[in-house]
Amino acid sequence: MDISELKKKSDLSYDIAIAKRNALEKAQSRLVVVYNESVFRADAETINLVKTLGESNTSPFYILDTNQNPVEITAPDEFLKILIQRNQEAISSYHQMSKTFARRGD
Amino acid sequence: MKKGVLLFCFDTAEVRYHKILERCVGLVKKNLKLEITVITNFETYKKMKPMGFVNYKFIDPELGNTKLGKEWNNVDRHLAYDLSPYDVTLVMDIDYFPFTDNLRQFLDTGYDFLISKEAYDLTGRQSFDQRRWSMIDMVWATVFVFKKGKKAKRIFDMVKYVKQNYRYFNDMYRIYSKNFRNDYAFAIALQQANGFLHYDTLPIRLPTLPTDCSILEFTDRGVAWRYNNEISYTQDQDVHVLNKEVADV
Repeated sequence: MDISELKKKSDLSYDIAIAKRNALEKAQSRLVVVYNESVFRADAETINLVKTLGESNTSPFYILDTNQNPVEITAPDEFLKILIQRNQEAISSYHQMSKTFARRGD
Repeated sequence: MKKGVLLFCFDTAEVRYHKILERCVGLVKKNLKLEITVITNFETYKKMKPMGFVNYKFIDPELGNTKLGKEWNNVDRHLAYDLSPYDVTLVMDIDYFPFTDNLRQFLDTGYDFLISKEAYDLTGRQSFDQRRWSMIDMVWATVFVFKKGKKAKRIFDMVKYVKQNYRYFNDMYRIYSKNFRNDYAFAIALQQANGFLHYDTLPIRLPTLPTDCSILEFTDRGVAWRYNNEISYTQDQDVHVLNKEVADV
């Protein structure tokens, strides 16, 4: 492979890396969800916490929102459903984009 | 509770801001589905195309501010509290294009005032690390949400005070840029009003295209841009476009 071809590949890899980063950022924005007048991230940590506390039969329970303010959760099943729905919406969209990047990089 | 979007728009000799507003209003209607009030002057209003149901309030913009040597009529943001007809208001720069409904939910929180502290450079250069340019963390007054009440009023009163004494605060916080910037006026006011401690923020980074990106295409789903001879695009993601040539795309 000559140097010009290598440069082309390098430029393409850079473009793909930036586009992938932007797609991840888009997913991160989409993970933010407002529930019970508070703001949360529907990420793995929140989902695991809500599921664990919900299963521990502690009702109601309290968690921190994105501004570190405590929030009372009285309907964990409802909240968990919203979190999972939003998480999968964002991540599946990112997954679709990732497949496109993989094809471009071949 | 009445909720809506407040937009400020004043044409200048160099930039037809009303063209940018027209794009923004279309996206607010499509994606945020909120009532809109535009703060403008009659000269700008005359040039706007009909945009359906939109409220207008006319003011004479305070003149004298500049950006990169050009007229920049953006110092009236401190009036948002007084001018907004809503109980809960989303204030946006008109060059922030909501290609999603992400911002809509922030009008349903219990918070009195939320603003973003971070921008995300879509070109990958991380060019918005503003900490180097002042002794205070900058906020992005590009997008903020407030609920009318004592706390929000106190913040806006503080913004007015900072604006009146901006040269003093500008020196005190060693802010590099000497022109008036809402971003710093709000950052200073929030710090002062909250006892120099933590204040609540929007947990999002504002996706932003720097001024050296040329906008090539603008659709109802996203934008394509050229930077450094590379063409990129984004869709279904909100974008703050700093290059005002977007008015002519």
